[in-house]
Amino acid sequence: MIATEKSVKLQASDVDVFYGSFQAIKNASLAMASQTVTALIGPSGCGKSTFLRALNRMHDLTPGARVEGKITLDGADIYAPDADPVVIRHRIGMVFQRPNPFPKTIFENVIYGPKIHGESNKKRLTEIAEKSLRQAALWDEVKDRLNRSALDLSGGQQQRLCIARVLAVEPEVILMDEPASALDPIATSKIEDLIGELKRNYTVVIVTHSMQQAARISEFTAFFHLGEIVEFGTTSDIFTRPKEKRTEDYITGRFG
Amino acid sequence: MAISIIVMLALFVFYMLFLGARYITPGFLFGLPGESSEAGGGIGPEIFNSFYILTLTLLMTVPIAVSAGVYIQEYARPGRFRALVQFSAEALATVPSIVMGLFGLLIFIYFFHLRFSAIVGAMTLTILNLPALMRVTQEAMRTVPDSLREASMSLGATKWQTVTKAVMPSAIGPMTTGVVLIAGRIFGETAALIYTAGLSVSANSPYDFSLTHSAETLAVHLWYTRSESLVPDVDRIGNGSALVLLFMVLVFNVAARVLGRFLSKRLTGKSS
Repeated sequence: MIATEKSVKLQASDVDVFYGSFQAIKNASLAMASQTVTALIGPSGCGKSTFLRALNRMHDLTPGARVEGKITLDGADIYAPDADPVVIRHRIGMVFQRPNPFPKTIFENVIYGPKIHGESNKKRLTEIAEKSLRQAALWDEVKDRLNRSALDLSGGQQQRLCIARVLAVEPEVILMDEPASALDPIATSKIEDLIGELKRNYTVVIVTHSMQQAARISEFTAFFHLGEIVEFGTTSDIFTRPKEKRTEDYITGRFG
Repeated sequence: MAISIIVMLALFVFYMLFLGARYITPGFLFGLPGESSEAGGGIGPEIFNSFYILTLTLLMTVPIAVSAGVYIQEYARPGRFRALVQFSAEALATVPSIVMGLFGLLIFIYFFHLRFSAIVGAMTLTILNLPALMRVTQEAMRTVPDSLREASMSLGATKWQTVTKAVMPSAIGPMTTGVVLIAGRIFGETAALIYTAGLSVSANSPYDFSLTHSAETLAVHLWYTRSESLVPDVDRIGNGSALVLLFMVLVFNVAARVLGRFLSKRLTGKSS
């Protein structure tokens, strides 16, 4: 596929996701290249978030949810019997739709991951916190109040804190589930700038309901509809020369 | 309606103060009780026993009830076993305390041949309060939104790390409030202790840490003095004890709120 110009980091092959007897994702295959941003777009309820959550085994936490098919990270099946979901989630981080900082201090939030992975050196933790907050473009705003509650931050700052928290565990892939949908335009543009920075070092997969956002930040776009991937291609092709009728209808605003 | 509740509480407190305040002296608070037919004496050992049995009870109840509550809330999948545990806890919670006292008498005293003692009283109160504390734990864990569990798991935390490092610290406020409120209830418990902790205090010393001494608590003392005692100064001991008991229970209630708020702030970093 197109993604082969850069090496494939994450590959989904014939993935089905079920909630009980309801099939939310049908036969979805998608190659996500490293150091690129892949956007998942589609109307509400099309299954794009459901697909995203299959990529780091978050469905394990939902009673009744079941994932079939194959998803590989660097060629290794993440649903293999000997694959440890805890290790998988360490390597594939996630940013959620609503900012969900812990009710702890800003500092404690950032070092939560490194701490549970065994880092106890105070000096090292402080370095990690600063580095991650700088990467998330939040350092200058919070450096004087690291010991204040994360809940005192604005929504946009909280979301960048959540991104810093993910960066602190040094994942290889970052999944983002409509990370800017609860934010105002200024905060949104900060998050978008940040994603542009992140793709230099990470593989980013982002679900978005905003086509403009997908166009602004992603190299590749997959269009989801009714639980299927209707079309996948470079973002410019999807938006300017869609091959499928349904993609074109969605892009041009005829439904959704 | 709301105001009438405040008025009733205020009237009650003032009436108790009116009846008992004049009897509260250091000798009464810290002194030994008098002989059974003579006037005079204090309630020192009874106050001590109340705190002692409370401590013992919490030491046993908290670990068991918190583990059970965490297990049911965070680990158990919905199903028959979980429903059975829930049902058992609810059934246990409705057992009247006098029945639990008689149960303690049957099991610990008659069957295991233990004596009326602090430890038997504490074990009986443990059974009595397990369901309530388990419920408190469950409710406290339930106040923590799932988004925090997801955040923790998505950072590569194990389930156990998520529960201990993210969920429990976030639930510490309501948890503490619940524990202290239950502590207040344990402190004032009477019926369950009459046949388990006994109606007399240690002959050795006013502050006897022995687990096996008979350990009449303040609430039991109040009941006993009022209903059975032959001492001539029943009013003094009764009204004085009642006032002390009331004061203690109020302290627990206030402490529950203050502590809960304080810990919430400390452990969750929430600034008010």
